[in-house]
Amino acid sequence: MALIELKDINKTYFGAQPLHVLKGINLSIEQGEFVSIMGASGSGKSTLLNILGILDNYDTGTYTLDGKLIKDLSEKQAADYRNRMIGFIFQSFNLISFKTAVENVELPLYYQGMSRHKRHDLAMEYLDKMGLTDWAGHFPNEMSGGQKQRVAIARALITSPRIILADEPTGALDSKTSVEVMNLLTRLNKEDGMTIIVVTHESGVANQANRIIHIKDGIIGNIEENAKHDAWGAELIK
Amino acid sequence: MIRDLLHEIYSTLRQNKLRTALTGFAVSWGIFLLIALLGAGNGLMNSFSGNVSDFISQSISVEGWRTSKPYNGYKEGRRIDLDQRDLDYTNGSEWQGVIYNVTTTTSSTSANLVLGGKSVSGWFTGAMPEHQDQFKIKMAAGRFLNQDDMHERRKVMVISEAQAKELVSGDVEKLLGRWISAGSIAYRVVGIYHTDERDFRRSCYIPYTTYKGIYDNSDKIESITFSVNGPVTLEDHKAFEEEYGSAIKRIHDIAPDDERGIWIMNGYEENLQMTKASSILSIALWILGLLTLISGIVGVSNIMLITVKERTHEFGIRKAIGAKPGNILTLIISESITITAIFGYAGMLLGMIACQVMDKTVGQQAVDIGFDKIQMLVNPSVGLDTAMEATLLLIIAGTIAGIIPAWKAARVKPIEALRAE
Repeated sequence: MALIELKDINKTYFGAQPLHVLKGINLSIEQGEFVSIMGASGSGKSTLLNILGILDNYDTGTYTLDGKLIKDLSEKQAADYRNRMIGFIFQSFNLISFKTAVENVELPLYYQGMSRHKRHDLAMEYLDKMGLTDWAGHFPNEMSGGQKQRVAIARALITSPRIILADEPTGALDSKTSVEVMNLLTRLNKEDGMTIIVVTHESGVANQANRIIHIKDGIIGNIEENAKHDAWGAELIK
Repeated sequence: MIRDLLHEIYSTLRQNKLRTALTGFAVSWGIFLLIALLGAGNGLMNSFSGNVSDFISQSISVEGWRTSKPYNGYKEGRRIDLDQRDLDYTNGSEWQGVIYNVTTTTSSTSANLVLGGKSVSGWFTGAMPEHQDQFKIKMAAGRFLNQDDMHERRKVMVISEAQAKELVSGDVEKLLGRWISAGSIAYRVVGIYHTDERDFRRSCYIPYTTYKGIYDNSDKIESITFSVNGPVTLEDHKAFEEEYGSAIKRIHDIAPDDERGIWIMNGYEENLQMTKASSILSIALWILGLLTLISGIVGVSNIMLITVKERTHEFGIRKAIGAKPGNILTLIISESITITAIFGYAGMLLGMIACQVMDKTVGQQAVDIGFDKIQMLVNPSVGLDTAMEATLLLIIAGTIAGIIPAWKAARVKPIEALRAE
């Protein structure tokens, strides 16, 4: 069974005017894949990512993550799954401003109840991997965008999750830093076999992935196999 | 984990120093007023009970009075004198186990005490040895009357300190053992009872039996005084008085509904009423203090609500990376308790210092009330139990202040929280 199995996922936002954002999504993602989800704004790609990240729930269908059915979970259960199985990377980094880099990286382990020393050591190890040892004691507002995103990646990785979900990870970065961050994700996928799902509307970013899923108006359009990374727009990144 | 939590709290509170301080001030102020009020109240009650405990005794006294209604062929306005029948009834089997320590006094006879060239006026009263306990007579020197005095009908007396001072200069103890003449009879002074500077009591106690032999050989009894064991509440005492009183009225053919045939003074009731008064005062002060504290709690709650709103995005991040609703709830409530506890504790200490200041200033002043001097505040302070109660109160207050904001924070969905800016 695939790591992620989505079967006929439907999601409607009930506002003043009901909005049917996901209209029967079927998708399976294998362990170790690097997938990007592309689509225009309002296409439903962010909603899909939120459902994958157990941040939002869906109305009908089934979502299975690592063999576990993710449906009608209690807040507590959802929090536990997010903590242990999913690493998030956000466009706006989402670091806690009054915590230092190392404290931010430690936080997921704090919620696992790990002891102070152990999680500090582990957080330093991950910061070291990101080349940020010297920045451990700094607050987010003292760092550049690229550094902040690397701290966020360290935080996403520290619990050894099953998947990394990245929502426009380069959206707030300049092109040079974007390349660095994407290369980092690629390396994680290749060397550590980490399953990575990136949501983006930049084709250059999407092109880093091995599979590009196009979503439009709440349904999956075509799925490009992109093992050679020669999809449309690949030249933009070069 | 506790240390981690404290670290979490510290790092967020340090973010908003001014806000934390302002919030804390409201709590400090509330607790300060609570403690200062309770301390002053305690001081007032201490002085109250200290001042009246000299006068109120734990006993019941019965005296004859004058009837106000005609009954059984007798006219109204008849003077009632208690006698042996009343004493027998009081000591009788009917009240066995309830009434004890029965004493009687005679009527009083005026006397002029003469020693050497000095003299002082006084009133002779025949009393029993138990009289001392019943009426809380404090001895300045010597002893009170005893059983031997009674049996042997000794001519001994106990005079007041005020009288003693007029008879001798300097140490009143010099009077002990001296014979003092009163009319044609001389009495030996065996004791001097304490009277304050402005207390001009003139009663001279001589043995009941002696008095009866010399001044009054009737079987009339001026008053019967006893302790009771049984009635506890005010209602119990009222019922007891009703039952006991109507029996005495029957003995003397007094109309059962005549309020003035006999007079019953119940020291227990006065004590009960005083206890009630002081507990009402205490409750009133607690309520005032709590009301003040409530404004502090509302302040904390208000600030926490704003804080929670401002930090919604942060809670979204925390939830995304695995914080359970319980973690968020704990975080907010602990923050609230920390603010309340630290500032509340400071307020409590200041309140206790204020109590000490009151003790050193107002507490040292005595107010002249004519026949006596009283201290306005005696030992105004709060006990350890009150401090513990206040501490507990702070923790509860902190929890209450934090509970609504914490609930809001814990309930918000991670996806909505992440969207908030």
